[in-house]
Amino acid sequence: MAEAATIDQNKEAQLWKGGKSPFGSSYGKIMMWYFLISDTFTFAALLIAYGALRFAQVESWPMPSHVFDSVPGLIDHGAPLVFVSFMTFTLILSSVTMVRAVQEGFQMNKWGVVKWLIPTIIGGLIFLGSQYLEWSHLIHNGMTMTSPWSSSSGDFVSTVNFGQLFFTITGFHGLHVTFGVILNSWLLIETLKGRFDRVGHYEMVEKVGLYWHFVDLVWVFVFLCFYLL
Amino acid sequence: MAHEPMSPEEYKHHVKDVYVTTVILSVITIVEVVLAVFYEKYFIDARDFPRLPLRIFVVLASIMKAYWIMAVFMHVKHETKGFIYSILIPTLFLVWAIIAFSWEGASWSDMRDMFGNY
Repeated sequence: MAEAATIDQNKEAQLWKGGKSPFGSSYGKIMMWYFLISDTFTFAALLIAYGALRFAQVESWPMPSHVFDSVPGLIDHGAPLVFVSFMTFTLILSSVTMVRAVQEGFQMNKWGVVKWLIPTIIGGLIFLGSQYLEWSHLIHNGMTMTSPWSSSSGDFVSTVNFGQLFFTITGFHGLHVTFGVILNSWLLIETLKGRFDRVGHYEMVEKVGLYWHFVDLVWVFVFLCFYLL
Repeated sequence: MAHEPMSPEEYKHHVKDVYVTTVILSVITIVEVVLAVFYEKYFIDARDFPRLPLRIFVVLASIMKAYWIMAVFMHVKHETKGFIYSILIPTLFLVWAIIAFSWEGASWSDMRDMFGNY
């Protein structure tokens, strides 16, 4: 019985129930992609809501380079977009190390995967730490989700809207980064335990990698909407 | 699917692809930030100075970044055509959503002008 189940599983890994695997890809990978599409729509809905509310108050919307002009702990004012650029680079670089881990996984190179997963996790943690610093700095300066805050630009309603959208969207993104770090850490532990060598492939690294790149992809648009436009 | 290990040349090629993409993404990001800061620094007081060119540029640049991340990092370049379409075509709905809700936002703006803020 147990034997039959293993054989079935092996067969399913190659071919889905229809006798052919759709798009020549595995079940898990395709489902990860379709999950990411659904997540795309969630993020898009949030960002489009941002767009609509901002479009309704073009004149009074707070200027990003005024709101985000500090490096928490170092520079109080006059360093527009410096800190968030640092965060962006952290995320891009941790995406790079992730894709290197995936490639080493293709080569069945266990220590290569470990070597590249560690900087990926560290990058994710630095990003989360930076976000903590940025949030606490903004909250300290009075930005909340419920009340207008004093800024050098922007009026009553638009500052409230700005705070609501900012904390909701970057918070939702940060939640995704948190899950990504958890998944990557799990991946690191399982790789060290030799699970994927036993299974015979490192596809799990690829699937989690897709998720991690997606988090980076979303950040491109969060960065665009909040900081650049 | 079990993966066949790549040949050494193929592997080298893929690794090089990744680093080239890293450089592309970094350069685009730096140009975006520099332009945005430059714009604010020199044109902020003249709020009527058209922000449109900057906006068009950063939107296009972000789409380029998204393309490179998906094509190389997420390996879409090497998937089958049908799979790529099944991922990209649903996002066309977003084009509708962006147009529709910008429209809506503009209408809220008009109402505010007519009836005040609340």
